[in-house]
Amino acid sequence: MRDAKRGYLSQRQSAWLLLVPFLATYALFLVYPFFRGVWISLHDWNLLAVAFNPDAREFIGLRNYQRVMWGQNIQWGFAAPLLQGLGLIGLALAVFLRRMDRLSRFNAIALGVVSLLLVVLPGFHPGEGGRWYDRRFWPTVGNTLVFVGFTVPGVTIAALLLAAGLNRETRAMGILRTLFFLSQVLSVTVVTLIWQIMFSPRQGLIANITEVAGGTPINWLTDQQFAMAAIVIATIWWSLGIAMILFLAGLQDISKEIYEAAALDNARGARAFWFITLPNLRRTIMLVVVLQIILHFQVFGQSHLMTQGGPNDTTQVLVRYIYQTGFRDSELGRASAMAVFLFVIMGAFSVIQFVVGREKDQ
Amino acid sequence: MNRSYTWLVIGLSIPAFIWLVPTLWMLSLSFQPNEVLARTTSSTAFGLIPLPFTADNYAALFTFGQTPWWFLNSLIVSLGMTLGVLAVSTTAGYALARLDFPFKRVITVVCVIGLMVPEQAVFIPLYTMFADFGWHNSYHALILPRMAVPIGVFLMLQFFQAIPRDIEEAARLDGVGWLQIFWHVMLPLARPAMMTLAILTFLYAWNDYLWPLVSAQQREYFTITLGLASIQSNFAQSEGLGRVMASGVIASLPVVILFLIFQRYVVKAMTAGGSKG
Repeated sequence: MRDAKRGYLSQRQSAWLLLVPFLATYALFLVYPFFRGVWISLHDWNLLAVAFNPDAREFIGLRNYQRVMWGQNIQWGFAAPLLQGLGLIGLALAVFLRRMDRLSRFNAIALGVVSLLLVVLPGFHPGEGGRWYDRRFWPTVGNTLVFVGFTVPGVTIAALLLAAGLNRETRAMGILRTLFFLSQVLSVTVVTLIWQIMFSPRQGLIANITEVAGGTPINWLTDQQFAMAAIVIATIWWSLGIAMILFLAGLQDISKEIYEAAALDNARGARAFWFITLPNLRRTIMLVVVLQIILHFQVFGQSHLMTQGGPNDTTQVLVRYIYQTGFRDSELGRASAMAVFLFVIMGAFSVIQFVVGREKDQ
Repeated sequence: MNRSYTWLVIGLSIPAFIWLVPTLWMLSLSFQPNEVLARTTSSTAFGLIPLPFTADNYAALFTFGQTPWWFLNSLIVSLGMTLGVLAVSTTAGYALARLDFPFKRVITVVCVIGLMVPEQAVFIPLYTMFADFGWHNSYHALILPRMAVPIGVFLMLQFFQAIPRDIEEAARLDGVGWLQIFWHVMLPLARPAMMTLAILTFLYAWNDYLWPLVSAQQREYFTITLGLASIQSNFAQSEGLGRVMASGVIASLPVVILFLIFQRYVVKAMTAGGSKG
């Protein structure tokens, strides 16, 4: 009221005025596209056909999801004994360790769910005369998981060790941190440019050093055994920095007194790291792992530029498959169904991230 | 300093040097003649020292080829996106943090949910939308989608929430309007947070690859990140290794300089951006 008399906007009016620019872009460029993506995934939608004639799309319900994820005569059994056996062991461990009270409830549930998925998912396979409608989809998901499965532990362990070593406020340590963080600010195309040539069997630095040492250079990017390793190495080199910084921030919160007390009990160096640093960093480690999973599950550029998904599809990853299905094959409906699949997985990890972020240290 | 510290520094210097080698190698190759590189990339010290030395690759970049143009595009897009994100994030962040209005809770929650949607899950519908509008191959097509991502709003919201209430109340007692408080009192206080957000956005814009790849099909609208991708697939034949590496160095220069000058902000920005999506 007072505001109105002076010609000012009221609190409510001000709030809406300040919110409108963001809410408008948010609604138009994020909320609407998201639902439109779900809607496209329910259609037979060819990019070029629909561009010429908007009526060329056909509503087909969930058929795109079926075409992507399912097949003819799909059965369930112990088709992948190794993975499924691992899952069974994990399930047993979760129950056993929970009974013995060696595992918190949260961890037991997490281990249980992961193990259960490991038992159930690899069990699906085409039976007699059956086939997957899309032969490439699940192998692509598998490759993405392999990539995540090597990159995330690689980054986490390396970053953790470095952070523990660099956790001193001196000039030398500051410079070393800068060196390790530097590659993080480069763009994916610079990273792939550098590593494509690093790995080149004819011109690459790695090949040059191997030759001097008397070995034969490896065709990193075109050899089925090494292509994924090459991408993982480049990615670890690229993305170690953030993890290291997050760990350094976590280490700041551990009080010096604990270490001093432990030093009296002769726990220094590696022992102190194992018995003090690791347990105190548990929450940070979880957070970094979940963050990395979300980040690296969306890998695209490294695979697209370094190996073009090859050789023989061994480095084909989910986002690249979505991109190809949509923009090379013009199958926007199927590509959108895969994008929704990606969103569901990412959403699940985001929820975990949120829970972990909220959970206070016990 | 004791002996174990010295050993620790030495022990960590070795991996740090190895970490630096790939970048150093790019820099060194960019200063070597293409004719030499076609023969061998390990002239001096595995090619890590640029001998024989030449600056021709850089000269060539600026006399022909599209690299300078792409660089300019990247600058325009990155600065535009940074300004846009700052504008919508500071205003919305302030409103959600400090003002009272109906549906505030609901709006906050709706924005939180938006943090979970990755770019890769919406780039196809965004593509069709922008195609319907006829917006592809333009600067605004490259800028607008990022302005809708709510990370910035939450960074600003958290910052504004931490400012003590008395500052506003004093201004209110003097009869100052809300918008005036926002503009004259809050924004100056928010400079460090805005700096962090600006750097986060600039880095993202400069390095983004997937959306420019989809949206900018004409080479005149390539960003440097996208342009670099387009020349690296057939680098050896067409342009010469030295020149491609020089493009890579040019493409990295702004972000590396930004990092070296504002290291503290960059680290803070990337941590904040990383830990919130």
